[in-house]
Order: sequence, then structure tokens, then C-alpha cells
Amino acid sequence: MTVIARRLAGHLARGFVMILVVATISFFIINNIPGDPLAARFEKLVEQGMSPEAAAQAVKVLYGFQPDGTMWQQYVDYMSGLLRLDLGESVTRPGTPVLDVLGEKAKWTVLPVLAGTLLSFLVGIILGVYAAIKRTGKLGDALAISGSLLHGIPQYVLAMLLVVIFSTLIPLFPADGPVDILFEPGFNAGYIGSLVEHAVLPVVTYALSAYGGWILAMKSSVVTVLGDDFILASELRGMKRSIVFRYIARNAILPLFTILALSLGLLMGGAVFIEKIFNYPGLGLLLIDSVNERDYATMGGAFLLITVAVIVANIVADLFYTVIDPRVRGGEEAA
Amino acid sequence: MAEQAPGVRIGGLTVVYKTPAGELPAVRDVSLTLEPGSITGIVGESGSGKSTLALSLLNAVQPPGRISAGSVEIDGLGNVAALKGEELRKARGRHIGYVFQAAQNSLNPLKTVGKQLLDLGRSHGVEDLRGLVRDAKELLGRMGLDGARVLDSHQHELSGGMRQRVGIMLALVLNAHLVVLDEPTTALDMITQANILKIVREVHAERGLTTLVITHDIGVVAEVADRLAVMYGGRLVEQGPTREVLGSPSHPYTKGLINAIPRLVGDIDEARALPGRPPTLATVPKQGCVFRERCALRMDVCDTVDPEAVAHGPRIVACHAVTVKEHA
Repeated sequence: MTVIARRLAGHLARGFVMILVVATISFFIINNIPGDPLAARFEKLVEQGMSPEAAAQAVKVLYGFQPDGTMWQQYVDYMSGLLRLDLGESVTRPGTPVLDVLGEKAKWTVLPVLAGTLLSFLVGIILGVYAAIKRTGKLGDALAISGSLLHGIPQYVLAMLLVVIFSTLIPLFPADGPVDILFEPGFNAGYIGSLVEHAVLPVVTYALSAYGGWILAMKSSVVTVLGDDFILASELRGMKRSIVFRYIARNAILPLFTILALSLGLLMGGAVFIEKIFNYPGLGLLLIDSVNERDYATMGGAFLLITVAVIVANIVADLFYTVIDPRVRGGEEAA
Repeated sequence: MAEQAPGVRIGGLTVVYKTPAGELPAVRDVSLTLEPGSITGIVGESGSGKSTLALSLLNAVQPPGRISAGSVEIDGLGNVAALKGEELRKARGRHIGYVFQAAQNSLNPLKTVGKQLLDLGRSHGVEDLRGLVRDAKELLGRMGLDGARVLDSHQHELSGGMRQRVGIMLALVLNAHLVVLDEPTTALDMITQANILKIVREVHAERGLTTLVITHDIGVVAEVADRLAVMYGGRLVEQGPTREVLGSPSHPYTKGLINAIPRLVGDIDEARALPGRPPTLATVPKQGCVFRERCALRMDVCDTVDPEAVAHGPRIVACHAVTVKEHA
């Protein structure tokens, strides 16, 4: 257990430094993007006939600050705010902290993408084992082809296909947002039912487009393990089929956890096409909108959120390996 | 159950592999008897079919291969070539122990040796798992290892020689009395090799086993085997008591093999490599003698007629030249 604790401490320290570095880089990049939303607002007010002093005052009241001071000073302000988890206020939504905006949008991204990823992972690895074991038969061929096909179809094509079939031609599922506004948000059957109903198509889209990658990765991983000597050795020792199967599955799934952790980390980046097509006001759309509207604070916050998610996912994956793979554990002790 | 060392009678065994060119024999019409309590060595070059023959003893030839003819009669088990499913699975491990080449990773890298031992016990319905662990520790201790520590180790924490002893332990712990060792000392250093061979000999004698050792190393058989069988191109070309076969080889291939060994005393140039290369599955002649391409004693009859295995006293040789000499 101390090994894990030591590893975790190291990861957290490294992760913290990495977050600071990314925050610094994105701060300076964003600050050097041409255009200034506050200046734009100020000029608009002046054009509307306001005196420069009154306009400056109005902008200051609206946003609660006026960017004066050197960039270095702004940087220090930004970073010290970060340490207090203060990402500033959204420029396009005056008075709303960026953190609240991110939190509000994150739920519409995390729910469908997480569900889709886990679903496709589960189905993909199970079918991947069959695709590997039956690889010389028709079933194996069919599974591998289904994987390649779905892997090859772009996500937005898949999404629109599903909308056309299951929303327009056969109106089984809605595609008009994350939930019916008729229902009172909260823990009641109507609201939750509506959530699930609306989530079906986006989740299925996400799962189908990710499934191909999982089944192909799992198939090749299982084929590799099947060729390992210890599988034949277990059979020659008369091990039960169920035990040999567990040996195969556990060894084959190991490398896939890295991919799973990385894709869960990237989940915070949102799925722009899916959010657009199914009208999910998620993080992907937020990022695009904030870029278009030059909402620098939100942009910076969204970048930071993706960074943190990827770093956390990596740490979780690494600790997970320490638990499930004795070779990783041993390596740390020797180091 | 076979508490005594079982005898094994392989009769007319042929194993074919399915290839694009049709089914090709890797082992052809092999007959071999393992006397109860004996150590038999099989030598041959890579691709001679010796590993396929070893797997046949457990009816474990891997697809696309299959036993197409012949039988493997083991005392207490009957014809293994006809066993299927659960019956076959239970015979493996329980009655026949198989030891892998040391260089091969015959252990699950994610589990400790002890946990795999328990998996093995559960697979064979062993009720007294504590007893099983005790037996395993005893066997490992017998082979000069710290049993408790080894059972608590993962494969990557063990050296090649230790792994090989773990392999032998797993083959014997369920009280199998027929043990097949496939290249037991390949990829081990000389000292470890000698150690493992000593262990094989001692354990064989102590537990009363029937042992089959597959190797490409004549030195290994010379050291452990009572009887020696030489394989070439899927055929057993010569077999007999080890000393006799090594001392006065009859078959031209056996002679070639022994002449190829450099001596400790004398000129190193006296060692003569056998000219040519061993046949592969695809190039094994369909008719006639499999060895004729490399044979110095080649005659016309060798091109058309496959020499039969003929007993000359305790020796069995499959060669036209040898038979002619006898009859002349």
C-alpha cells in the first residue's frame, strides 16, 4: 500500500506542476489573441453616444473589473485566482463565474459520453474476445468487419443517420435536446425518464462510433495472449476452461485500460458533433462558442478542465496498473 | 489410478498438419514403447516432429494439426488419442505431467505461483488444497528452492532455472506418473542444465515415474535416458538402449549426428557437420526414405520404398542399407 501512496504523491506533484504549466501557456496564448471583448464593448458604448468616462465606468460595472496593469500583474492575479479555484467570470455571461458555467455544461457532456464510452468498452471487449477465438470462422469475420466499418464511419454521419432513422422516419426517440422542458428538474420519474429517452440516440451514436476501436483492439490483444505459451501450458496441465478463459481475458484486457483512461480523460473535451446534432448544450459547444465570442475566461477554463481531466485519468490509470499488474508493482520496488 | 509407473505404447502414430498444400504429415507411422519406470529420450533437429510427438501423448496437437492414425495406449488411461473433452482434460495434469521448455513462459504473469497452483488444484477437484500446497513446497524444497517464497512469487521474479523447477513441480504435484519434458534444459546455462538434469534423474527414481525427454541435445539424453529414439523428418529412424545407440549407431543419420559433435579430446576438425538441411513439412519426400537426400549410403530402393522399422535385437532401425547388411 505504501508503494501506491508513494506513487500517488509523485503523480499529484507532477500533475500539479503540469496544470500550472498548461494554465500559464494558455493564459499567454489567449492574451495574445488579437481582439479584446472589453474594448469592443467600450467602443460600442462610445459609438452609442456615451462619453468615454461613462462608457469605461459602465464596462467596469458590467464585468467587475477593468483590465489595466501589466500582463505580468494580470498573470499573477489569474494564477492566484486559480489556486482558489477562481477561474474568473464569463465575458459573454456577465456576472457568472466560469466554474459555474463549466459545471452547468459538463453534465450534458459527461452523461452521454461516459455512458457511451463505458457501453462501447463493455460490448467491444466482450465481442472482441469472441472475434479472436472464432477468428477463423464466419462469426469472427462478421465481428471484425462490423468493427472496421463502424470505426471508419465518421461520428457525425452516424449521428445524422440515427436521427433520420429513429427520429424522423420512425419517431422512436427525440433528438431535440437533453430533456423535455415540460418536466420539473429533479429526482422524479418524469424528468429522469425524459433524460434517458433523450440520451438514447447520443449514447448509441457515441457507443457505435467507439465500439469499432474497442473490438479491434481487444481482438488483437486476445490473439496475442492466445499465442502465449502459458495458455497452452495451462491447457496441458488440465486447467478448467473457465480458469483458462479468465487467464486469457485478464491478460488481454490489461493494455486496453490505458486507452480507456485516455478516452475518459478526453471526455471533457466534449463531442462537438454529437452535441450539435442532438442539441446537447455541452462542453464541446461551449468551447466552440467561447472561441467564436472571444470569451477568454471561459476558453481558458475549458482548456484547463480538459487538462485536469487528462492528467487525473492518467494518474488513475497508472495507479490502477499498480493494483492489477504485479510487474508494474515490482518495477517500483526495484526502482 | 496409476500409482505405479505406467507403460506407454505408441502404435503407428501419424500426425498431419493442414496446409494450403493439403494435409502434410509431421509425424508418420511412429511406433515407440516406453517401458514402465524408464527414461526415454527423443532427439532430432528442429522440425523433425519431436515436439508434435510429445504433444500427441496428451492428445494436445494444436490445430491445424491432428492425429490422423495410430494410437497412444497409456496404462490406466487407455488410448489417449481417443479421449475427448472432460476426460481428456482430467487426464492432463493428473496422470500426465508436461514440462515446458524453460525459455517459454509457462506461467500466467499476473498471478503468483501459489495462486496458479490453487487454480490447478481446483481444476482437478483437489479437496485438500492445504495438502496440495504442502506437497508443492516439499517438491520445491526437494529441488533446492525455498517453497514458501516461490509460491509467493510471480513469474518475473524467478530465474530461468527456478521457473523450470516450478514447471516440474506443477507437472508432478498432482501425482502424475508419466512425465513429458519438452526441451527441459534449452536456454539454460550449463550449470543450471546439469542441475535440472540431476533433479530429473533423482525425482524420476524417487517417485517411480515413466519419463519422456524431448531434446535436440544428444548430451542431455546421454546423461539421463535409458533408451534413445532418433527422429528425422517425422519418422523414428533408430531406437535402442542409449549406450548402444551412441556407442555404435546403425542408421546413417544417427552416425552423422554423433560425428557432428566436437570432442573434448582430439582435433576439433574431426567433428563433421551433416551436409544438407533437414526437410520441412512441405519438402518431406512423399515416398521412399526421408533421409535419402543427405545419405551417403543412398541406394535405388531408397527413392521408392520407405524403409520399415526392423528390430535388430534391442535396436530398431529403419534403413535399407542396414537391413541389407544384416541379410548379406
